[in-house]
Amino acid sequence: MKKKLLSVLLASSMLLSLVACGKDADTSAEKERQSTQKDATESTGNAANEEGKNSGVINVCLASEPASLDPALNSSVDGATLITHLFSGLAKWGLNAQGKVELQPDCATELTEGKSNPDGTVTYTYTLKDGLTWSDGKPVTASDFVFAWNRAAGPALAADYGYMFDVVAGYDEMVAEGASPDLKLNAEAKDDKTIEVTLKNDVPYWNELLAFPAYMPVREDVVANEGWATEPSTYVCNGAYTMGSWDHNSVITLTKREDFIDAADITMNEINFYLSDDTNNMLANFENGSWEFIDDVPTNEIPNLKDQYPSEFVCEGQLGTYYICWNNNQSLLPKSSTLSGAEKVKAENEIRNAIALLIDRNYIVNDVAKGGQVPASSFVAMGLTDEDGSQFYENAGPDKNITGYFDVTEDAYEDNWTKAVNTLKKYYTYDEASGKFTDIPTFTYLYNTNEGHKAIAEAVQAELAGVGINFNLENQEWATFLETRKAGDFSVARNGWLGDYNDPISFLDLWTTASGNNDAQLGKGANAETAAYSIDLSDLGYDTKIENGTWAETYDVVVKDIKVCTDPKTRYALMHRAEDLLMSTGCICPIYFYTDLYMIDDTVSGFFSSPLGFKYFMYCKVNK
Amino acid sequence: MNGYILMTIIYFITRQVGETMNTKTLMYILKRILLAIVTIWVVITVTFFVMHAVPGGPFTSEKAVTESVEAAMEAKYGLDKPLHVQYLTYLKDIVTKFDFGPSLKQRGRTVNQIIADGMKTSVKIGVIAAFIALIFGVVFGAIAALRRNKFVDRIIMIITTAFVSMPSFIMGSFLLIIFANHLKILPANGAAKNGLILPIITLSLYPMAYITRLTRSSMLEVLGQDYIRTAKAKGVSGMKIIFGHALKNSLIPVITYFGPMLAYIVTGSIVVEQVFAVSGIGRSFVNSITGRDYPLVMGTTIVLATLIVIMNLVGDILYKIVDPRITLE
Repeated sequence: MKKKLLSVLLASSMLLSLVACGKDADTSAEKERQSTQKDATESTGNAANEEGKNSGVINVCLASEPASLDPALNSSVDGATLITHLFSGLAKWGLNAQGKVELQPDCATELTEGKSNPDGTVTYTYTLKDGLTWSDGKPVTASDFVFAWNRAAGPALAADYGYMFDVVAGYDEMVAEGASPDLKLNAEAKDDKTIEVTLKNDVPYWNELLAFPAYMPVREDVVANEGWATEPSTYVCNGAYTMGSWDHNSVITLTKREDFIDAADITMNEINFYLSDDTNNMLANFENGSWEFIDDVPTNEIPNLKDQYPSEFVCEGQLGTYYICWNNNQSLLPKSSTLSGAEKVKAENEIRNAIALLIDRNYIVNDVAKGGQVPASSFVAMGLTDEDGSQFYENAGPDKNITGYFDVTEDAYEDNWTKAVNTLKKYYTYDEASGKFTDIPTFTYLYNTNEGHKAIAEAVQAELAGVGINFNLENQEWATFLETRKAGDFSVARNGWLGDYNDPISFLDLWTTASGNNDAQLGKGANAETAAYSIDLSDLGYDTKIENGTWAETYDVVVKDIKVCTDPKTRYALMHRAEDLLMSTGCICPIYFYTDLYMIDDTVSGFFSSPLGFKYFMYCKVNK
Repeated sequence: MNGYILMTIIYFITRQVGETMNTKTLMYILKRILLAIVTIWVVITVTFFVMHAVPGGPFTSEKAVTESVEAAMEAKYGLDKPLHVQYLTYLKDIVTKFDFGPSLKQRGRTVNQIIADGMKTSVKIGVIAAFIALIFGVVFGAIAALRRNKFVDRIIMIITTAFVSMPSFIMGSFLLIIFANHLKILPANGAAKNGLILPIITLSLYPMAYITRLTRSSMLEVLGQDYIRTAKAKGVSGMKIIFGHALKNSLIPVITYFGPMLAYIVTGSIVVEQVFAVSGIGRSFVNSITGRDYPLVMGTTIVLATLIVIMNLVGDILYKIVDPRITLE
């Protein structure tokens, strides 16, 4: 199981994480990234490196065999890293003169501004650079892009990431039930060098999408062979590297393309991607010097590695949240309670929010998970930016003086505890002598079989037992767990989410009633018709003002408004409102924001990773 | 060259078989082959239905795919059909075309390709490990028996006890730390040059220790037999007694261990391949289960089960050939 594609990360690792910075330059995420970048340069930029010695070969290990290296079909972070080395899209992530990671034009001469049309759609026109070629020598044309996009988005291919095209006009019609297979995206090759694409409305993360693997060009005659992406002989790409060899389950070797348009900038001649997901094996190979980069480490070794390799052990932010998910339909009240309907749901919301306060996130982060994670009290992860470029999570919650929806600093824990106990006293019987509640039902906490998740589950179990809330722990194997959680056959379950792009909507649209990721079952099942939620958007210029509506009448409406809103200020305000409503249910109990751990040898310089977690080795030098 | 060796081996086996064969044993062998086929069919059937009964599917992922995408994928791979239809189609494809179908996870590759790729490495490791285990096991066992209760015997017994009781994932990690991390003389990764040495050693240690102990005890038993005493009395040289009489007969139990040893190597390689990141079939097997890659689960299970069934059968028949006293019923 993969890195992030098996292992903690393995489990959650199958997710793609995109972060990032929009088009506006100076976001604080970028500032933060700039500082990590600087640290990385300092740590790896020792004197010897500056002499510019470079072996030209780097050995890295990200994860096990990628499920697919077809840009349209890939859905893993490690696969995306390989694809960014093999393919060039219209845009790419790169370092600017200041060593800051930013979006740059790649195949396109420039990343143009869109032109708004009267119907609200926005049209972008891109011109391809001269001299772009495929690895077999044929020229790259505009129609290769258009073909690739239609292929990746279309229902015939059934790609996991087909929805990345839902911003493009024509997508909804194309994937509608029973749609004609002739329907296409609103994208057109005007001539060999010009691409015109129309979006439903302006989206702030469009340039980011252009650098995403699913948006890479592929050639029709190449992909006609279904197995094209599984063997080097049939793998035709247009990026800095070509696939030299692929020894399945063993190693993939990328070889620099001398005829690549920017070949002069590429300092690494050969990259060996070893395919392993056994973290102990990865560490053994790193420690004996065989590999210069490993993308995962054994969880129980983290504290040692931090001490032993202060400059080589790197812990970077990642756009994801680890949280505990309650099933909204799980009854929480004691048998003696007479509450029902909306009153019951409201009481349960309050109870869940109180329980969230009982968990000591600093203890979990520092003594259990130990991977540099950041305690969380909101769902939209650290690293996603707000309208003004500040951190979205810092602006979340009703109290502007604290970060998030409640205070997770170490000093606040005692107060949180008292507050929570007082709230719970409204609904349960409290025995002053033992300091415990006596009539809280016992819940089963479900997690997928993994040491890391187990340790966190045990920590939470122990803390809650202190006030008489008893959790039974149950673990299930990964695929079974996903199915159980999705179907809502649980009371409480561990959960995690990594964003697909730097926009809070990638976290918020999970929780609409019909979403396939609505694990908390909000607006579904027994409570589907319960009118317990209120929302007032009138101050933002909307008619929506609902007192006691169902989940579908409230949350779904805000999310729909967000998706068509074109004024950034209003849009972000709406997203904060959506998160307020989501957090008021208490179904989402955030624990921490994810970090990306990796180890990189001191002899390597010029490495960076994109906000999306993709790793870039092409501009590296290895001083060996 | 390999073909020639194989032909020779087959020739000698058939000749030997011919000599010991009578209608009764022939019937027995036929019966066993039939039974083997039934066993494999049962394995296929049970695996097929249990696999589909387990929750979760090949297209389940943390980020839920839309229902239309899932439906399209299921239709593409025939997973939308009733289970018994899928089962019959599957049986038909393997029997008539020897086609295990496409992998659901590694899109674009067939299970036949994946198994063929994995077998290349796994067979190499397995065969070499089996040979090492046999040769060293027999030699050490014989030495221990001949030096019974002497210092050498004690040492061999202590070491083999340790090897027999240590699971392969501990042994593997142990060797990895010593040879790859401290001494740095061998690589920790199966893909590297000489990368298969550590996995082979890890895999061979348990059967080698087992064979050593087996050879030792059976050799001791044989050495106490009357015919050895007779040979000694006749003045046959010590060497000739050991190699001509004692060793040959003391190997009979070793041959019976052939099947279990293969089973150990097959299952052991699942662990060892993981520890050393070797690109064998064992790793595909484990990954296919966690990923619910149905055709790959079936393919690897069938191949591994067939291998074990055949090797047990061969072991039993060999047993009969080397020891005519055995009657096969």
